Amino acid sequence: MTILNESGTPDVVSPLWGLSPLAERLPDAIFVLVGTRADAYTALSLCGPLPGSRQTRHAAGAVPPFVLLEPDSEPEGGALASRVVEAAAGSGGAPEVVLIVACRSAGLLGVDAAFEAELAERRLGVPVRAVETSGDAKNPLATDLEDAVAQTLVGLSPREARAVEKEEPAGKGGLLNRLRGRATGRASFGDRGTPRPVVLLGGLEASREELADELGRTGVEVVGGVPDSVRNLPEIGEGTVVAPVDPYLARAARAAEERGATVVRTLLPVGVDGTARFVQDVAGAAGRVTGEAGRAREVWSSMEYLRGRIRGKRVFFTGDTGLEVPLARFLANAGAVVVEVGTPRLERRFLAAELGALGSDVDVVESPEWRAQLGRVEETRPDVVVASPGLYAPLVARGHLCRSSLDLLSLDPRGYEGARRVLALLARTFERAEELDALNL
Amino acid sequence: MRISHGLYEGPGSHGVLRVAASVEGAHAVLRAYPEEGYFAALHGGRTRSGDPAPVTMSLVRDEGGGSREGDVRRDLLAAARGNPEAEAIVYARSEAALLSGEGVLEIGLPESPATGRPPALVTCPWETPLLGEIEAADLALAELVKAHAKAPRGRSPAPSVNVFGPPLLGANPEAEAREMERLMGLLGVEVNARVPLGASVGELARLPRAWANVVLYREVGDEATLFLQDEFGMPRVTTPALGSAGTGSILRAVGELCSLDPQRVQRAVWAELARTAKLPWYARLAIPETFRGRRVALFGDFTYPLGLGYTLAREVGLEVAWAGTYLVHLEKDFLFHAGTFTDDAFVADDPDAVAARVEEAAPDLLVGTHLEAEVAESLGIPFLPLCPPVAERPFVERPLMGYAGSSVLADALEAALREPPPAQPPPKARGPGWTEEALEELEEVPAFLRGRARRLAEERARAVGSREVTPEILEESRL
Repeated sequence: MTILNESGTPDVVSPLWGLSPLAERLPDAIFVLVGTRADAYTALSLCGPLPGSRQTRHAAGAVPPFVLLEPDSEPEGGALASRVVEAAAGSGGAPEVVLIVACRSAGLLGVDAAFEAELAERRLGVPVRAVETSGDAKNPLATDLEDAVAQTLVGLSPREARAVEKEEPAGKGGLLNRLRGRATGRASFGDRGTPRPVVLLGGLEASREELADELGRTGVEVVGGVPDSVRNLPEIGEGTVVAPVDPYLARAARAAEERGATVVRTLLPVGVDGTARFVQDVAGAAGRVTGEAGRAREVWSSMEYLRGRIRGKRVFFTGDTGLEVPLARFLANAGAVVVEVGTPRLERRFLAAELGALGSDVDVVESPEWRAQLGRVEETRPDVVVASPGLYAPLVARGHLCRSSLDLLSLDPRGYEGARRVLALLARTFERAEELDALNL
Repeated sequence: MRISHGLYEGPGSHGVLRVAASVEGAHAVLRAYPEEGYFAALHGGRTRSGDPAPVTMSLVRDEGGGSREGDVRRDLLAAARGNPEAEAIVYARSEAALLSGEGVLEIGLPESPATGRPPALVTCPWETPLLGEIEAADLALAELVKAHAKAPRGRSPAPSVNVFGPPLLGANPEAEAREMERLMGLLGVEVNARVPLGASVGELARLPRAWANVVLYREVGDEATLFLQDEFGMPRVTTPALGSAGTGSILRAVGELCSLDPQRVQRAVWAELARTAKLPWYARLAIPETFRGRRVALFGDFTYPLGLGYTLAREVGLEVAWAGTYLVHLEKDFLFHAGTFTDDAFVADDPDAVAARVEEAAPDLLVGTHLEAEVAESLGIPFLPLCPPVAERPFVERPLMGYAGSSVLADALEAALREPPPAQPPPKARGPGWTEEALEELEEVPAFLRGRARRLAEERARAVGSREVTPEILEESRL
């Protein structure tokens, strides 16, 4: 494997892209975007269908309200807090938390979002936190907002175990609440000692449930996940094992570490071998020794047909979400040929295990220049390009078979079932292309 | 500082990019922070043309490294080298970049190996964070025209006009300009250039050779055509090309400016009225009760609500309850023109305020932008999203302007007004009633959200079969 830093301008949509999906995932939270017209316009523009993405325009209610700042006047202290209180009052229901998504322009206009959050919290009586969208990253990922929100939610997680309240009825209280206790119900730890509780960092509902089941099989209890509703946030502190599921949650993982939690640094649960190693190492960190090789063989065997469809296929990742490195590792393991893995930013420490597992013949291009990438795609003619939204249509127009990186993200590629979903998606892509190519137009 | 749920227009930099991306041979450099990428995705999603967005990001990086001016110089030179076919480099700054103090930089660009001359650097020194998308687009087009238009050796031998239409990412920009080109062809008038969409930089240089400018979309074309008028004495036609009367008026004005035989112009108009324009037929074929006493409300940019207002009031016979624009900088002109067909003209750039007006007026037909779709649906008002911004992105564009556009309008109106008006149309009686307690609770909802909360509650009451809104229904509707 070689890593080349091209120091170019990658094609990446603003992290504000993630605002609507996050608002949908966390219905008990109120998001309030704070910025100028440009910020609001960006968020609104990106909540519609993007090239190559199955995602349709989000429901009107899922687009969070925004506080529009006047660029020619410095806002008075407390004014933002008042608007946030109004937005919360207008949302209906009783929010568990209010997240003020503060854009860079807010800071440039002198808005102290953290201070305003404190003021609003006093008036609302629920946690109010400022989430910075700009961060300090030289090259942002499209998924940075999710990282910032996850980091904030880690900060809101209790440090100590809460008293067990009366059991909620089935179907309420979040998925991981329902999962709680599964492992303890199945395994008697007895003389083997009680395993440390595990928190999953990232993932969507389906993959979290699957991973909790897999870990439960080894006798390890998944006590919750982040992001989740505030009432379901698990304890994170010394003694907790935090298992990052997504490669782009580095800041959230650091926040968990700062609380004294053990953050497992292993392969991410993307692909069969990644999931097997993840389960094995997370279980190990929690105090359970397990071997997953048999399970991995069984899963590989069950998806042999799909694997056959992508064997030898050449894949190019233009890179924008951060998910590309583990996906490339998985596809290479499945028999595809990875031509290039572009990624706007490489968190080397966080992704050390992933980078170590990439094949020796895979080239990673950090901070790629999108024009140069178009040239390399033309030159190498891959079978499929996992493309960012800005490059999707230009590449399709040049005759390349593409799948949207954001589509793969929303597909939920984590876990064994996620691996199957990824291979099935690619197989469908090739089948569809073959059908279209067979037409005599 | 205000709360909002939608925007009618983007920031100034977006307007500059739309114009730059419309002109062949222009390439934009957007000075912005790394997290401000959106244009390439939006461009790909809206145009679906396969062309990459002709925009290079020049990233503002706060940490270390070279000076900001040095970075901009490097990025401008790189954009010129990387796009050798570019004849103009347009430099725009995002709102955040402007707020952080990014200025303009005048530098000489290197000669292009493709064209044999350096591209012109078009800066936008008037950019401020206060400028909206449409006003900035208008100014950017004027900058491009000023930078390239050259004094002609003479007018074109045959009569010709320039057609100034909507820029890229607008509503059917290609179709609107093509329809006007078709109509000019019927008069024997050549179209010297279609601006900005599809015009090349070379065509911008040759603009002054035309006999007149036809301004289809005054929002983005006003400054440029005023410049051409002042600098080269070029007359312009600014009547909205909507409806049969508006279109006929344009043809007659062009005929005069191009010294055409008036009878030839009239024959062309009659032929189009017989063959293409179906709106006059629709207005005559439909029974008078289809229109009598029915009220339409219009909201949008400038050209479309005004042109449609004239058309619906005069050619169709609807009563215009009100007409509004979100373009604050065109307020005076809008109020003047709209005053000719309605007693209630206004300017508002907050969708919630417009929704409240819709709710209050309860018109029989609402013509607006895609942001009015929700309120129209919740009130059960027939709705036509004919004014930009529109969410639709059809592969095949259909014009709303010209005679062909008048037929599109006739179809849309027929579909929207097919149902006869309700026999008892008292607007306030449309929804279910409210209990005192529910009304008290509604008063506690912030004013800017009250209209929406009312609509959702009434919808909920209808859905559960209740004749009145109770506090419980109000609460349920907001969950």
